[in-house]
Amino acid sequence: MTESIINFYELRRKQPRFQGIDAGHRACLGCGEALAARLVLESTGPDVIVANATGCLEVFTTPWPESAWRVPWLHSLFENAAAVAAGIEAALKAQGRQSKVLAFGGDGATFDIGFQALSGMLERGHNVLYVCFDNEAYMNTGIQRSSSTPHAAATTTSPAGKQRMGKRHLKKDIVSIIAAHHIPYAATASVAFPSDLRKKVRRAMAIDGATFLQIHCPCPLGWGHESEESIAVARLAVQTGLFPMIELERGELTGAMPIREQKPVVDYLKPQARFRHLFADDARAREELEHLQALADHNIEIYKLLGSGVDALDSEGADTVRRGGNRWG
Amino acid sequence: MSDVKYTRGGCARPATSLQFHTGSWRVQRPVHRHGAAPCHVACPAGENPQAYLARIEEGDEQAAWRELVTINPLPAITGRVCPHFCESACNRATYDSAISIHGVERYLGDKALAHDWHYAVPARAVGAARVAIVGAGPAGLAAAYHLTLLGYQAVMFEANPEPGGTLRGAIPEYRLPRGVLQVEMQRVLDIGIEFRANTRLGRDVSLEELRQSHAAVFLGPGTQRARYWHVDGIVQRDLHQALDLLKAWNTVGKLSMPASVAVVGAGNTALDTARILRRAGVASVHLVAHKALPEQAASGDDVMPVHPREIAQALEEGVQIHPHRGIRRLLLRGERVVGVEMVHMKKLRGADGVYARVAFEGTETVLHVEQVIPAIGQTVDGVGFDALVADNGFVSVNAQGAVTAGYQGVFAGGDAIGKGGTVTRAIGDGRRAAAAIHGFLQGREWAASVLAPVTFAQLNVNYFEPAPRPEDPVLALKKRIGEKEVVGGIEQQAVLQEAQRCFSCGNCFACDNCWTLCPDTAVLKTQELAADGAHYVFDYDYCKGCGICAQECPCGFIAMEAEL
Amino acid sequence: MRQTLEGSQAIAKTVALCRPQVVAAYPITPQTHIVENISKLVADGALQCELVSVESEFSAASVVLGAAAAGARAYTASASQGILLMSEVLFNIAGLRIPLVLTCANRAVGAPLSIWNDQQDSMAVRDAGWIQLYCADNQEAVDTTVQAFRIAEQCELPVMVCVDGFTLTHTLEPIDVPDQDLVDQYLPPYHFARALQPRQPLSLGTLVAPDYYAEARHSHHQAMLHAKALIAQCDRQWQELSGRASGGLFEVHGASDARIGILALGSIVGTLLDAHAAHVQRDDVQIIKLRSLRPFPGAELAVALSGLSDLVVVERALSPGGGGIVGVEIRSAFHYHGVNVRVHNVAVGLGGRDVPLSTLDRILDLVAHGSAEEFQILDVQLDKLPPEDR
Repeated sequence: MTESIINFYELRRKQPRFQGIDAGHRACLGCGEALAARLVLESTGPDVIVANATGCLEVFTTPWPESAWRVPWLHSLFENAAAVAAGIEAALKAQGRQSKVLAFGGDGATFDIGFQALSGMLERGHNVLYVCFDNEAYMNTGIQRSSSTPHAAATTTSPAGKQRMGKRHLKKDIVSIIAAHHIPYAATASVAFPSDLRKKVRRAMAIDGATFLQIHCPCPLGWGHESEESIAVARLAVQTGLFPMIELERGELTGAMPIREQKPVVDYLKPQARFRHLFADDARAREELEHLQALADHNIEIYKLLGSGVDALDSEGADTVRRGGNRWG
Repeated sequence: MSDVKYTRGGCARPATSLQFHTGSWRVQRPVHRHGAAPCHVACPAGENPQAYLARIEEGDEQAAWRELVTINPLPAITGRVCPHFCESACNRATYDSAISIHGVERYLGDKALAHDWHYAVPARAVGAARVAIVGAGPAGLAAAYHLTLLGYQAVMFEANPEPGGTLRGAIPEYRLPRGVLQVEMQRVLDIGIEFRANTRLGRDVSLEELRQSHAAVFLGPGTQRARYWHVDGIVQRDLHQALDLLKAWNTVGKLSMPASVAVVGAGNTALDTARILRRAGVASVHLVAHKALPEQAASGDDVMPVHPREIAQALEEGVQIHPHRGIRRLLLRGERVVGVEMVHMKKLRGADGVYARVAFEGTETVLHVEQVIPAIGQTVDGVGFDALVADNGFVSVNAQGAVTAGYQGVFAGGDAIGKGGTVTRAIGDGRRAAAAIHGFLQGREWAASVLAPVTFAQLNVNYFEPAPRPEDPVLALKKRIGEKEVVGGIEQQAVLQEAQRCFSCGNCFACDNCWTLCPDTAVLKTQELAADGAHYVFDYDYCKGCGICAQECPCGFIAMEAEL
Repeated sequence: MRQTLEGSQAIAKTVALCRPQVVAAYPITPQTHIVENISKLVADGALQCELVSVESEFSAASVVLGAAAAGARAYTASASQGILLMSEVLFNIAGLRIPLVLTCANRAVGAPLSIWNDQQDSMAVRDAGWIQLYCADNQEAVDTTVQAFRIAEQCELPVMVCVDGFTLTHTLEPIDVPDQDLVDQYLPPYHFARALQPRQPLSLGTLVAPDYYAEARHSHHQAMLHAKALIAQCDRQWQELSGRASGGLFEVHGASDARIGILALGSIVGTLLDAHAAHVQRDDVQIIKLRSLRPFPGAELAVALSGLSDLVVVERALSPGGGGIVGVEIRSAFHYHGVNVRVHNVAVGLGGRDVPLSTLDRILDLVAHGSAEEFQILDVQLDKLPPEDR
C-alpha cells in the first residue's frame, strides 16, 4: 500500500472503531474536547442519541449544512441539555426504544447555567449519561471564568493585575455535588488517560439510570499552552493531584486512580499562560503557588491518592502502550 | 431520510463535515520518520535487536531467530561472548535498565540449536561464482554465510584442522562451551560451503592462485603474531604469550605456572588469561590494565573493552585488577622475573590534540610476581600476503572492506584489519565484505548506510511501565571449576518480558497512540503495513498539524515538518 | 359525549384522547388542573404516557422539545411566569420546527403579583414563532386542542392553545368531549421526519452563519403564513367529523352590513356575544372573534371588515408605552390594504378584573361619542391612583 493509491475515503469507512465525530470539524488545533467527545462515542457505539448544550463542541461540529456527528444529535440551548436529554429518554421509553441517551455540556453548561436542569434530571433518575467536558472556562465566548475555573487562573473576566492574581475563588467540586444526588455512578476522567476514560464510559453505559462523567479537557487557546502539549498538560493535572480521578457510586467513593509519583504543581502550571503571573517575582505569586500546591496535596490526602509501588492502573501505568495497540479494546 | 427537510431548524446529514478540509489550516505536518534504534546503530555486526524483539513480542520465536540470522549466523556464540555495545546504547538504560539483548540473543541462538532450526538459504544457481575465504574464524564464517545467501559458492581455506579461529583458540570454555561453538559453526558450514581444512595461505596455496581460481577473495586470517613485548628493551627469559596459554588451556586443560603472575593488558584476552590462571591453580593473579574499569570510568576515559560482568566475575574469582596502571620496569634476578614496578597512567589529550598515555611520577609501586604475561594484542602474521600488511601490522582496507594495496577483488575483515577485536565486529566485517564483494561482482559500489540513533529525548516514556531487567544466572563461585559455563541464559518468560520492555526507538510498533489521540480523526489505521512500514497513515486533508501525535508517540517515530 | 366538566379537566381528557407519549409540566402557581388531571389519568392507567415532573417550566419546555424531537407526541401546559421562564425554549422549539402542543392558561404577569387572568403571557411570546390559537370557551378549547396536534404535526410548527385562566380553566360547563374513535380518525399517529434515531443520525439545531440565517427565518415565516390555510382546513375537517367548528382563523358574528365591529380574543368574545344577544341587540354591530393571532390573518381581516366604519379592538394585555398589541397589528393591516376603518383600541379585564356584560355598552358609547383614545384601559379607575400616577 503506498500513499498515492490509498483510498482515504474507504480506509476511513473501515476503521476498526466507531468514529462518532468525524473529521472536518472546526475545533482549534490540539482541542481536548474534540478528542474527549470522540473517545466517549468510541465506547458508546452508534446506538445513542446526543443532546448537546451550546458551547465549543456544538459550534465546531455543526456549521450548517455540515455536521461532524455520526450519531443522532440535537442542540437546543446552553442550559437545558440535561432536560432535553430527559425528554428524549422519556420519548424512547414511551416508544419502547432502547438507545442510550447522552447529554454533552461544557463546564459552563454544567457547573453554572445548566446546573438546575442537570440536578432535576439526576433526581428523576433518567437513563441518561451526562458528560461534562471540563475545560475550566467559557472558551466558546472568549475565555471567561466559570465556577470550574481553577483558583488563580487568569481569564478575560478574572485577569491578573495589580490587585488580583487571577480567579479569587476555588474550582467548584462538581462531582461531589453530583454524587450527592445518590446516582448510581459519577466519575472524573481525563483525555490523557483514554483507557480509563473509556472504561468509565462503558461502566456508565451499563447502568440503567442517571450517570455522570466529568472529563478534564485542555484548551490550548484558553489555557495558553502549545497545541501539541494538550495530553501532556492533562496528564500533569492528574499526576500533580490537581485533578483527582475518582469514581463515586451512590455517593460513596469507590475508586481513585493512585498517583505513583506526585509531580509538583509548578510542572503543571508552568506551560500554561493562564498561570504565567504566578511565576513573577512577587510575594503574592509565591503564596498562590503554595496555595495551589496545598490544594493538590489536599486532594491527595482526602482521596488517598498516593499509591505505593507499582499499580498497573495508577497515573503512571494506566496507559501503558504495547505492540499491536488495541489496548483499550 | 427521504422526507427530511434539511432546511428546517438547521438540520444536517451525518459526517458531512468531511466536505471541509481542515488540512488547509496546517503550517506543519506530521511525518513518519524512521529513526535508527540505538542498539542497531551500536552493533558492530549490524544486528537490529529491535526487529527480533518485535517478533518475540508477537509470539514467534522462530521468526525472531530468522530475523536475527539475516545478519548474524552465530547468535548462540555472540549471545555469550559479545560485550553488548547494543545494551550500552539502549535508551531503556536511561529509564530503568537496558534490555537484556544478549540474553535474548543467546536464548534464540540456543533455542535454534535445540530445535535444529535451519537458515533459509536460496537454491544456488548452477555455475555460481566461487569466492575464496581465508580463515574460518567469525569474520570468515560470516562472509561465507552471507555470500552463500547471495548465491555464491563460498570456499573456505583454514590452516587448522577445525574451523573457529579465535572462537576456538582464545575464548575459554567457561565462557563459550565447545558444544555450542561446534554445532553453531557446523550449521553455517552445512549450508553448502566448501571447507578446506589444514590449508594455510602461503604454505599450501598462494594468494595469486586463489585470485585466479575465484571471482573474489576474502581474507579473515585473524592476528596470529603476538606484539613484540619488552620493557626498556628487556625481555624475560621464560616469556609466555597470553594467547598461547589460552590455546593450551583450551586444548590441554592444564597449565604449569608459578604461584604469582601478572597479566598485562586490558582486553578480553588479558582478562580470560587471568581467569584461567586462577582456574589452573595460580594463587596470586594480577591484572595490570592501562585502562579504566567500566564502573569507575569518567566520560571520555578509555575503558577496558570487556563486559563489566566479566570483570565482576574475575574479581569474585580472586583476580586482582590494577586499573590505570602501566609497567615501568621489570625486577629481575638474573633473567628471571621477581616483580614489576607499576606506575599510575592515564590517556590524556596533549597540546597537539593527540591522545597519549602519561605516567605520573611518584606513583610507582612494586608488585612481587614470578611471571609476567603480556596480553597486549596481536598483529597479522602475513605469510603469503605480506604485501597487504601495513606498517602497523594490520591489513589496510577501505570502507567497503577492499584491501587498499591494489589487489582487485581482495577483501579483508576481522581482527586482521585492526579495528578493535571483537567477535561481533568480525561478524560485521564478514557481512559487509560479502555485500561489498557482491557489489564488486555486479559492477557497482556498495556503501553501508549510516544512521543517527534515536535519542531518549525523542521518546515519550510516559507510556512505559518501569520493569526490571532479568539478571543472568551466574554459577556460584564454589562451582566455577574447570570448564563449567559460568553465565547461564534467561528463561522464556524473561525473554518475552524483555521484548515487551523494548521502546521500539524510532519505529512504529502499532501502539495506537496517534490513532487514539488525534483530536481531528486525521490518523487512520491501516490493515496492511503502509508503504513506510507504519500501521497508520495521516489523512492530510484533515490534519491541522497540532502535533499531538508527534508529542505522544512513544517511539519517536513521528516528526513535525514545517510547511509553506 | 356531553359532560359537565371544569375547563382544565376537559382539556386534560382531550389531551389524553390525543394519545400523547410524553407530558412534562411544572406546578408553578398559577398552574391549572390540566397536568394534575393528566397525572391522574396516567396514575389510573387510563393514559399510557411518560409523565415527567420537572423542576421548572424551563425544563418542562426542554423535555417536550427533546421528546418531540425523538419522535414522541408531546404536550405541556403553563401560564404567566412559567411561560416567560420557558420563553427561551419556546423560541428554540419553533426555530427547530418541532411540532408540539402547549396549553397556555392565560394569566397576568407580575409584578405586581397577580394570579388572575389576562393574556399578557402569551402576548409576550407572540414573536417566538409559535402558532397561537385563542379559545372563546371550553368547547373550543377541547376542539382546538385536538386540531392543534394535527396542525402542528402537519406543518412542523408548535401550537400554543390559549385558554383564559380561571375564566375558562376553572369554570364548569357542559362540554362535548369527543369519542376516542373520532379523535383517532382525525389525528394520525405522530410521525416526525427528522426524528432522532440511530438509523438516521441527523444533526438538529446546528450553527447557522449569516449567509443562511435570513433564509432560515424567511422559511419559518413562510411556514407560518402557509399554516393559515391549514388552520382553516383542520377546523373544517374537524367540523365534518364532530359537527363543531371553532372559527378557523377568525369568525364574524352579526349582520354582514354592520357598521361597527368589535374584535376580541378568548373568553371576552363570549361575554360580548352574550351582551349583544341579551341587551344591545343592535343590527349595526358585529362581534369578531380572532382565533389565530399567529399566523396573523391581516389581509383576510382587511377584506372581511372593509365595510365597517369603526372597529374596536378589545385586548387583555398591553405593551406599556406602546399601547395595544393586536390593535396596532390590525391598524397596520388595514393601512397596508387600504381599508378605511376607524380602529379604536381598548384593554379590559387585566389581572382578572371582571368583564361585565355592560362592557359592550361602554365600548359602543366610546364609538358613538367619538371619544376613544388611540389606546386606553377601559375599566381603569383612576381615582385609585395618586394624581401624579394617573
